[in-house]
Amino acid sequence: MRGPDTTPFIKGVLVTGTDAPVGELLVRALLNDPNIGHVLAVGVRRPEEALPISHATRLTYLQVNLTRERQVHDLLFGPARDLGVEVVVHTAMARSAMAEGGGVHALNVDATRALLQLCERHPTIKRFVLKSYAEVYAVQHDLPVLIAEDHPLNLHPNAPQYVRDRVEADLHACVRMGLSPLQIVVLRCAESLAPGTGSQLFDYLESPVCLRPAGYDPMINVASLRDIVRALECAVRAPQQGVFNVPGFDTLPLALAIRKWGRLGLALPSSWLTPLYRWRRRLRGHDFRYGMNRRRFHYSGVLDGRRARDVLGYLPERPVDWPAP
Amino acid sequence: MPSIPSVAQLLAAALLPEAEKKRLERLLYSDAGHGYDPFGLHPDYVAFGEVLTAPLYDRYFRVKSKGHEHIPKKGAAVLAANHSGAVPVDGMMIWTDVLRNTEPPRVARAVADHFVPMIPMIGTLFARGGMVGGSRGNARTLLENGELLMIFPEGVPGIAKHFKDRYRLQDWRVGHVELAIRHGAPVVPVGVVGAEEQMPQIGRIPIQVAGLPFIPITLTPLPLPVRYHILYGPPIPVHEEYRPDHADDPSAVREAAARVKAAVQALVDQGLSERTGIFS
Repeated sequence: MRGPDTTPFIKGVLVTGTDAPVGELLVRALLNDPNIGHVLAVGVRRPEEALPISHATRLTYLQVNLTRERQVHDLLFGPARDLGVEVVVHTAMARSAMAEGGGVHALNVDATRALLQLCERHPTIKRFVLKSYAEVYAVQHDLPVLIAEDHPLNLHPNAPQYVRDRVEADLHACVRMGLSPLQIVVLRCAESLAPGTGSQLFDYLESPVCLRPAGYDPMINVASLRDIVRALECAVRAPQQGVFNVPGFDTLPLALAIRKWGRLGLALPSSWLTPLYRWRRRLRGHDFRYGMNRRRFHYSGVLDGRRARDVLGYLPERPVDWPAP
Repeated sequence: MPSIPSVAQLLAAALLPEAEKKRLERLLYSDAGHGYDPFGLHPDYVAFGEVLTAPLYDRYFRVKSKGHEHIPKKGAAVLAANHSGAVPVDGMMIWTDVLRNTEPPRVARAVADHFVPMIPMIGTLFARGGMVGGSRGNARTLLENGELLMIFPEGVPGIAKHFKDRYRLQDWRVGHVELAIRHGAPVVPVGVVGAEEQMPQIGRIPIQVAGLPFIPITLTPLPLPVRYHILYGPPIPVHEEYRPDHADDPSAVREAAARVKAAVQALVDQGLSERTGIFS
């Protein structure tokens, strides 16, 4: 099944989180790559409900609860070993900012830790790719606008679990680099403006009227799902391990993003926004938490993707599908 | 739905002379995809900024400047200027002066103190005109992109100094020289005369409001119509005289910064000796 080009053949890739759009699109992209032998997709849905993809010969879908270490062990040392999986791409993480508690932490952090530990002693797995998030970075008035990989992380004591878990999982993967026999690649991805991705900004833009702090219009960077998936594809074949920022194509002020999404932006005093959005959350069941986004709604923060460009060959190419011109 | 850039564009189109509009179309900047650079600069706002500052520059402060040939036409460079006047009008006047007297037009990217991006409206408006917050990372990125930085090494103590200390340079920080050495940029000394007398400061109220570190107590509620003199000196080629690793040598950096300070002081002294009065 080796392709005509010189791209190295990868016998098998295991993808977690295939119930979410990123995981599903990644599976589709990997199946389109003739230099990938088999894709082992993992999700929480039952097989008959998951991944409507007709590549049965090269795709195996398994329902696995990643918070159960025994299930993870049996996945890796069962089907993954039998298929000769060489790369694990871990994208599974709780997507709602409202999801809190031990069960959420078990998926976000403990599952990442367990996967890494098991992969380290696995006979065929050589590379571990973690899809991390730009939300791990701190955004403040006294920090650089362009966020490089050595930018301070958001370790604010009042940060919600959504952020704390992402930072912890990211850091855990980072500290294993060099200590682990695996090649570990951490991709800190820009927020993708798409449903089902857990994007706070997407949920924010769901309102016909988007409130923002008066007097501030920070620069933000957002990515299309296609670009995030392409970055993950690049990471599957990464020439070296490391942490890489994955910026999106669109860098623009928040007010312009609101306008291009076809919404009406309304600037109000910042202190009004937390209670107003709390009420919105309670009344309408939305996921957006203003308190969690307060700083980046005041101060600019744009991912610097030079490392990903130079090492992985990733450059954002596809803009977000903005509804308004 | 009217957009803010369109408002800026409309005002600039209505109020800027046609020749200047054409000239500003050649403005060099790094468009990150929607007309803005990653720091928030937008050419329409630069034009709008010129519209806003032109009456101050031309009529109120009647700026006289010389030595524009010393501003590099392209590539990374650091403008290092003295700072004074209770409110940062000196930065606005240098910004306008550089914009008008460079071809193709260049924006002097002011590196402001950390509190400036916190000020509502002002922080955003200044960012659209090219200002960045005073973090090392911001300055580094701009120099790597070949931009022209405007740095006031005295910082807030310069703008906040007592009237009796006018035209005496305050503690001269060395970060601008360190950046220039590390990133291969010359330092252009800039002397500003006039700003010291625009709003004589006699004290300060040490309370923080809207991000400002203090409230100055001044003799006048608004800047006086003093005449500004801006003098640019020959570039100091620290990037040729020092190797990039000298940026980590404190004594080399201090020595280079002292030379810049002396050059700025000389320009200030020259400006003071050449002017015939505060308002003329």
